[in-house]
Amino acid sequence: MTEKILSEKNRVVRHNAIELIEHWAIALSGLVLLLTGIFELPVAKRYYIVTVPGLGWSADFITSLSLHYAAALVFTVAGIFHLVYHGLRGETGLLPKKGDLSASVTVVKSLFGFGQEPPMHKYLPEQRLAYAGMAWIILLLVVSGLIKTYKNLYAPDLSLAVVLAATWIHNISFVLFFLAFLAHMAAILLRPNWPMVRGIFTGKVRLDYARHRHALWIADLEKNKKVVDP
Amino acid sequence: MQISAGAALLTGVHLPKTARAESGGSLSTLIDLSLCDGCADRKIPACVQACRNINRDKIPPVVDNIPEPWPRKTIEDWSKKRDVFHRLTPYNYIYVHRADVVVNGHSRTVFVPRRCMHCDNPACATICPFSANHKNTNGAVVINPNQCFGGAKCRDVCPWEIPQRQSGVGIYLHVLPGLMGNGVMYKCDLCNDRLVQGKQPGCIEACPRGAMLIGPKKEMEAEAQARAGKINGHIYGQKENGGTATLYVSPVPFEQLNQTMVRKPGQPDMKPGVPRRMAATDPLGKAVLASPVVGLALAGAAGWYSRRRKNNRRQEEDRD
Repeated sequence: MTEKILSEKNRVVRHNAIELIEHWAIALSGLVLLLTGIFELPVAKRYYIVTVPGLGWSADFITSLSLHYAAALVFTVAGIFHLVYHGLRGETGLLPKKGDLSASVTVVKSLFGFGQEPPMHKYLPEQRLAYAGMAWIILLLVVSGLIKTYKNLYAPDLSLAVVLAATWIHNISFVLFFLAFLAHMAAILLRPNWPMVRGIFTGKVRLDYARHRHALWIADLEKNKKVVDP
Repeated sequence: MQISAGAALLTGVHLPKTARAESGGSLSTLIDLSLCDGCADRKIPACVQACRNINRDKIPPVVDNIPEPWPRKTIEDWSKKRDVFHRLTPYNYIYVHRADVVVNGHSRTVFVPRRCMHCDNPACATICPFSANHKNTNGAVVINPNQCFGGAKCRDVCPWEIPQRQSGVGIYLHVLPGLMGNGVMYKCDLCNDRLVQGKQPGCIEACPRGAMLIGPKKEMEAEAQARAGKINGHIYGQKENGGTATLYVSPVPFEQLNQTMVRKPGQPDMKPGVPRRMAATDPLGKAVLASPVVGLALAGAAGWYSRRRKNNRRQEEDRD
């Protein structure tokens, strides 16, 4: 399923199955990583999380580590797959473009009733900037996490400088990942973004919404005859 | 006889230059329980006293009003109980357990010095969230008191719950003392500073019966095997928790010694064959290390498949 306009159904295909799987693999494993990462800190007993029904395991660091590893496996495979697969296909629509910063300011202002949104492509300028930020955070998390895993398995006496660097990069990017996740959720709360939520579950968004907000994208699709007429 | 044998071995096993802290070469210690008499003639065993002397000023002054942690209000303050030497505390990193056992119908007393085992793959160090605890290449597992927040995770994951917390000291006081951290964890560091200087750990140097040795790991393992063989004895620490840098040699089975040890805070038991719990996570950890390759392979395969589909479609369109 590639991008196309389904006029009869008033829908546009925004994401294909591979993109949806990538997104949800990273999102769900990322949430498990956040949670089990928090439980790798000595907080579950102190904050009585361990008494919450269903979270009795949260104070067991070894169980948390197993879950953390399992989620890291999915997270890393999905992240590397995303980078390489779309890189090979030359799909760069999510990478920041020149002028995205000032365009983002215009869009964000318009979300709060100040001024008009400019016509936009498939992705909003602030989405492209957020994507780049998240990609860097994920890269730091994955690389530092791999070093920490290697140390746990094979080299407990790895150089202290390397261990400290990996630890602090992992801890700081964990905080950044959590903040980025909150920002991502906050974006969903904004009414103009609501129609896009359907897209990340079904792959499709409303055509009338897309014509209004993603005029440049729809124009491209029509130009390239990506239209399924009734 | 035993003393001279121990003394001869002590002088025979020099601390080699390679044993110095960071210059490579993993060390191991050997504690020969057939030689240790618990320093019955002293109020405090010599090893314990030497350790206390060396580490007397290790803990900085504790703040007058230790911040109350929230919401669980556990404070562990040993600053007014510094004299305690019959268990592990933040001020006492080694103690001697007395085990009264009956072997082949004869009563016998065995003295067991207890301290950090300096494990080969210590979970206390590898999963410290701030890497405040680290295993050095010489085998010493050392907590940096300037980086430790005193969350006691190291104690939770240690099969012997060795590290001990002193609240009211450390970096947490300068961050969010009520919400995060609770002091600093302390334990034996194998006198790493002395190892750096080419000296022996204080407990080993002070033992009047030469019951403790330190040397290259392989040599100590061979020595432990030889000694155990001679007395038809038993070894503890070689397999426990995945292997450690502390080898006990005992004429009495460790199952029997363990029965004399009631596990309490600061007084670990000595269960033979205690497993390395983190080993259960190793297969998943290996899968994580392989995951970039899996991601690459999947991307390559999916890319090839989509290109093939695209080419087929184009050929069909050309035919039409």
